Amino acid sequence: MVTARREGNRDVLAAACDQARALGLAPGMPLAKARILVAGLDVRAADPDGDAAWLARFGRFAARRWTPRAALSGADGLWLDLTGVAHLFGGEERMCARILAFCRRLGFTARIAVAGTAGAAHALARFGAAALTLCPPGREADSLAAMPLAALRLDEAVLSRARRLGLERVGELIAMPRAPLQRRFGADLLIRLDQALGRAAEPLDPIVPEEPPAVLLRFQEPIATAEAIAEAAGEAVRRLIPDLAQAGLGVRRLVLICDRVDNLEQSLLVSLAKATRDGAHLAKLICAKIEKIEPGFGIERLRLVAARVEPLGPQPIAGALAGDRPAPDLALLIDRLAVRLGARRLYRLGALESDLPERSVRPVAPLAAPAAWPDWPRPVRLLTPPEPVEQVMSALPDGPPRRFRWRGRAYRVAAADGPERVYGEWWRHAGERAAVRDYFQIEDEAGARFWLYRNGDGEEAGTGDMGWHMHGIFA
Amino acid sequence: MTYVELHAATHFSFLRGVSSAEQLFAAARLLGYPALGITDRNTVGGLVKALRAADATGMRFIAGCRLDLMDGSSLLVWPEDRAAWSRLTRLLTVGKGRVDRRKGEKGQCFLHWEDVAAWSEGLVAALIPDEADRLADVALAQMADIFGRRAHLALTHRRRPGEAKRLHALDALARRHGMRSLATGDVLYDGPNRRMLHDVVTAIREHITIDELGFRRERFADRYLKSPEEMERRFKAFPDAVRATADIAERCTFSLRELSYQYPDELVMTRRSPQKALERMTWMALNAKYGGRPPPRYRKLLTHELKLVASWRYAPYFLTVNSIVQFARSQKILCQGRGSAANSMICYILGITSIDPVVHKLLFERFLSDDRDEPPDIDVDFEHERREEVIQWIYETYGDEHAALTAVVSRYRTRGAVREVGKALGLSEDVTGTLSGQVWGWSNDGVAERHVEELGLDKEDPRLALTLELTRQLIGTPRHLSQHPGGFVLTRDRLDALVPIEPATMEDRRVIEWEKDDLEELKIMKVDVLGVGMLGCMRRAFDLLAEHKGQRLTLASDEMQKDDPKVYDMICEADTIGVFQIESRAQMSMLPRLKPRKFYDIVIQVAIVRPGPIQGNMVHPYLRRREGKEEAHYPSRELRHVLDKTLGVPLFQEQAMKVAIVGAGFKPTEADALRRAMATFKSTGGVAHFEERMVKGMMAKGYSRDFAERTFRQIRGFGSYGFPESHAASFAKIAYASSWMKYYHPEIFCAALLNAQPMGFYGVAQLVRDAREHGVEVRPVCVNASRWDCTLEAPNPPLDFEGRNLLPLRLGLRMVKGLSNDHGARIAAAAMDAPFASIEDVWRRAGVPVAALEKLADADAFHALGLDRRQALWRVRGLGHAPLPLFAAAEARDDEPAVTLAPLAAGREVVEDYRAVQLSLRSHPVAFLRPALDRRGIVPAARLGELKDGARVHVAGIVLVRQRPGAGNVTFLTLEDETGIANAIVWQRIFEANRRTILAAAMVGIEGILQREGKVIHIVSARLEDLTPLLGRVGDMHFPHRPGPADGARNGGRDPRQPPPPSLPSSRDGGMRIRSRNFH
Repeated sequence: MVTARREGNRDVLAAACDQARALGLAPGMPLAKARILVAGLDVRAADPDGDAAWLARFGRFAARRWTPRAALSGADGLWLDLTGVAHLFGGEERMCARILAFCRRLGFTARIAVAGTAGAAHALARFGAAALTLCPPGREADSLAAMPLAALRLDEAVLSRARRLGLERVGELIAMPRAPLQRRFGADLLIRLDQALGRAAEPLDPIVPEEPPAVLLRFQEPIATAEAIAEAAGEAVRRLIPDLAQAGLGVRRLVLICDRVDNLEQSLLVSLAKATRDGAHLAKLICAKIEKIEPGFGIERLRLVAARVEPLGPQPIAGALAGDRPAPDLALLIDRLAVRLGARRLYRLGALESDLPERSVRPVAPLAAPAAWPDWPRPVRLLTPPEPVEQVMSALPDGPPRRFRWRGRAYRVAAADGPERVYGEWWRHAGERAAVRDYFQIEDEAGARFWLYRNGDGEEAGTGDMGWHMHGIFA
Repeated sequence: MTYVELHAATHFSFLRGVSSAEQLFAAARLLGYPALGITDRNTVGGLVKALRAADATGMRFIAGCRLDLMDGSSLLVWPEDRAAWSRLTRLLTVGKGRVDRRKGEKGQCFLHWEDVAAWSEGLVAALIPDEADRLADVALAQMADIFGRRAHLALTHRRRPGEAKRLHALDALARRHGMRSLATGDVLYDGPNRRMLHDVVTAIREHITIDELGFRRERFADRYLKSPEEMERRFKAFPDAVRATADIAERCTFSLRELSYQYPDELVMTRRSPQKALERMTWMALNAKYGGRPPPRYRKLLTHELKLVASWRYAPYFLTVNSIVQFARSQKILCQGRGSAANSMICYILGITSIDPVVHKLLFERFLSDDRDEPPDIDVDFEHERREEVIQWIYETYGDEHAALTAVVSRYRTRGAVREVGKALGLSEDVTGTLSGQVWGWSNDGVAERHVEELGLDKEDPRLALTLELTRQLIGTPRHLSQHPGGFVLTRDRLDALVPIEPATMEDRRVIEWEKDDLEELKIMKVDVLGVGMLGCMRRAFDLLAEHKGQRLTLASDEMQKDDPKVYDMICEADTIGVFQIESRAQMSMLPRLKPRKFYDIVIQVAIVRPGPIQGNMVHPYLRRREGKEEAHYPSRELRHVLDKTLGVPLFQEQAMKVAIVGAGFKPTEADALRRAMATFKSTGGVAHFEERMVKGMMAKGYSRDFAERTFRQIRGFGSYGFPESHAASFAKIAYASSWMKYYHPEIFCAALLNAQPMGFYGVAQLVRDAREHGVEVRPVCVNASRWDCTLEAPNPPLDFEGRNLLPLRLGLRMVKGLSNDHGARIAAAAMDAPFASIEDVWRRAGVPVAALEKLADADAFHALGLDRRQALWRVRGLGHAPLPLFAAAEARDDEPAVTLAPLAAGREVVEDYRAVQLSLRSHPVAFLRPALDRRGIVPAARLGELKDGARVHVAGIVLVRQRPGAGNVTFLTLEDETGIANAIVWQRIFEANRRTILAAAMVGIEGILQREGKVIHIVSARLEDLTPLLGRVGDMHFPHRPGPADGARNGGRDPRQPPPPSLPSSRDGGMRIRSRNFH
């Protein structure tokens, strides 16, 4: 199995499993080439964002579990500062063995190196012979000597220059005078070398687990009435707002968690259409949902967590100077409607560039800017699916219907326009290759206007079955 | 009231129309149209094709054009007469002249209403409106103003809402402006089934995928050609608009056939007719050549030719070609004419060619047919690099208004079509890339489904299936116009009154809209000014010869006219690497069988290894007859006359045509039409009709059906790939001259070849190797000794095998990859002043950037300073930025601590040699692999000679050349190892099974059966193996083998008790990269 990612205009392998590597596949190889080399290759899309998120999560876990000072190392590694913690886990070796075992249980193949410098550990973990390498203190130079230069975290340009000069291993570099090296490769090479050998310091950027802004209220007496809960929630919102304002954040999702006396949790979720710090608005939204909380024997603690936040800077006040009435903020209305109806039921219609009426509309988020509608007249209401129309009388090949029967009623046509010829989108479905629909705008004797279509162009049998359908009603 | 479609676009409205003129006319004929008008967007490029299609279907053709103006309005125009046509072409020239090609505005045309007004006389016009709004109103006012009673308003049913209303409003608007409405179909393709292709083409035009196309897809429906009855029915409400179409068709009687052409005047013609001038010039030249007493045979031939030329009135053409050649001669530019009229006494005596028609028994009229009223054809080949001077002279002499290059229509071939269609359908680029990579060369057959399976792709995938299907439809569609490399059209009158001219991508070049076939159809003269690399090489060789050996020669010298047996001995042994034309594998394999002994044999040799004779299965009969294994056999006396020279087997294009004329009673024009029908891009079934005619004609003359059918098959092979005798003779001349040079002066020949690179069939490594095998001492690039070009150094007496004194060849700085000519010249100049003492010295005195010195270090050019590659590179990298004179002394970095760098492995040196100068004088990369190859039982190439015919052998080597002659089913692979060259033949079945290896591998191993043909040995492949990974290891190898632990004494190797150091990543840039050459 391999994973592939898109790089510019090519698909390249992002990673390959052991078996795939044995077949000669390697990361960076074009996917098409890999497919040629290995028939029946299992290709999955690479997910670098997911990988990064997982690694960050693992890093936070490590920071809690093993050492307070853990840091990310590239896209595929973690630094763990073992200073003063190894003895808690029975020494470095046993600790590392446990970590390896833990990773194995998670389904990961991990490699660990322990060394006196971050650079040396990096090199040994990635290029060392064994899955677990312990570098004796002060012996970094010896253990690194046989490593290829790539172990030093150098960029490809420097590496290829070094190769051209026959410099392949770290040991050769250590043995060389420094000034000429600096002159030819720039400072980067020496800094990396010094970091690996402990001659230069390398600060780590430790992961600090993030906590979402939250407020915790404890009650001396359990509360149980809706009014009391509403009051408490209002208080929590009032305390949360200054925190948010200070951090420059606005809330998109708010969770209210009530811990009941009987140790059950009741929670309540409020989503917002736009980031906001408007306390009154938030309180109102929470209150609208309060009846959903079952207080039971009472609530002793109440937590309000801003589960999703977004940066929210100061907003200009529109039009106040000119005395215009500011445009009403739709977001407030949408939030209140969403609280009652559910966010999924709120949307607005946007146009999609397609000639087929069914495909020319799509729901978009309530506050999104929809695409412009095409110029041609379209009915205000589309029937989904189109309804068959019977007893149609029309002249072939392109005459409009003169009379027809729909939903059991007969209509006589007073005026008509058409046909508007719409072709199938052949690249979506093979069945639409030849498909044609002829649309007619019809006005009956009573003045009602309809949108009818016929399958087929009226000449070629392959273009449709000549059946008539009602597809929409004009206002 | 008969409707005529006047508004149809062919695929020359690039990426808008998708049908060819042939398809449109064929469809129109079926629908019962008497005439059809073609209006492409801002171009008349497709009109000659339409003319031919109209003639073929017996319909009338109304030439027109759709003009898209800068303000967004579009109008159709049709010229009424010849004068109006000239105005239209000049109008288009004006619009195209405003294009700035540097801004990437290729193929556009910038026109305004004022331009239209200036050139409007005699043009019937129709405005293409959108809505009946203010815009249309203003445009109509303009139209009425400009065209008066010739103005119309085009009405087209678009099948959109409110269409009836729109048409009525437009019609009323037109009447208000006092003009007629005109019904049109706005046709983009011949039948409804082409809609898909049209959508794809639109996506290609918009550079997006079909899913994103949205409303950019052509939104107005029904764009195919409909029958006149249907159009009349649709425009029932506007009978006058329908009548207007017939009126315009009646009124615009102009036909492209009316275009007449005048030869340009030449200076030599002062007060004489062209014929008189030509006669005077040729007689004077003949008398001068033979000291006033030309041999009677020459006199007779010249008199005869002049009479023929007079009867055809071709004298001005010869004068024009002569002027061009004389100019080249005055500038010492080597040139050589070829073509139907080139092998004449006139051309020989004027110096246009160097083939003596008396000595070589060539007959002028054989190349011209009496009633094929077509201008004679002379192509002139010039030295590749100096052709530009000739072109500039032509522009200066004849003027911009009278000279322009012919166009070449680039059409979609499989590769490009797959790539673009795949992109439009949203396939990722690597998929389309691999798909097109499966296609060999210039195929037009689309991608076969089995190749798709081989790639591991799912051919059931609908998008992929659509891609393959639409690709096949797109193949052959023109994509854009580009310029012919050297086909000039020269006229006395303004050229832009004949055909629109547009600026070419290259500065100062102008291109007309028609291609070669179009010009032929309209009988317009064209001179081909082409570049041939070998001529440049020969000029260099002649220069070197004069400089170093004091021998002054030209192509016309006696040495080149006589048949020298020693040179032919060399040719017979297929020792022809580097020689013009007869150096390819296929040619070389033929040489020992054909055994050329005289000039005409080379002519045949040049022509026989071509797809035409190979497909026509003529090669073997000819060889058998030549070797005396088979009696030359002539089916009749009249054909004997035609086929005598080639032992009864038609080998040349002229012969094939003659067979059709003499054998089947074709008229010469018909024979030519036959040739063209076969050569057309996607033969559209026209050939079958000729087959019937030919077979019947031959049977009527008493030939057997079997013979007639065989002859036709032979001619069919010729149609597209046949080689004319006249061209073969000119090529043979250059081939002989280069063979002569190679035989007598291999070092000069090699130096000239290297300096003329890139050219020819082989890479520099093979050329140098060949020269070394001929006893030439080749010296490496050296910063102190090399000039920019490869040079010959002072004689160094050791004699070669035949006791000749060869000069050592010094590789020039031009061989160093990536080094610019400017930098190289500065270094060479500084080195001539005084030899360099150190790298700092080079840097200071030559004043070239450090990057250039790095290139030299990579090429190991500092070895004269006692520095190897790495040391030199180390020193070069240590140089600072621009040296200031004051600090120059301080900059000399003697104070730097000494550094020892690991010496390069021998294999690495070779790899680096190849990387930097494309060849190595050290040893061959395969030499390092020999132990590994021995273990596999692989035989060195040199030992193949000892093996028996039919032996089973296993060889391996670097792939030098892959060649697939024509559409043949055989592929030649040339492998090279350290001992020599092995040639393998891969038959189609094996090729398909090993496609990937053959196309992609840098080194292959081949197992097969040895086939011996005289001295030429081939291996008929049975199994192939990709050895590229093995080759990639050369860089790490020490010669002769890898040091084991026991070699510790030599390199201080590591202690075997220690664990091995981690292996270095293998995918480094150190792998051997050798570019093979592919030929089709």
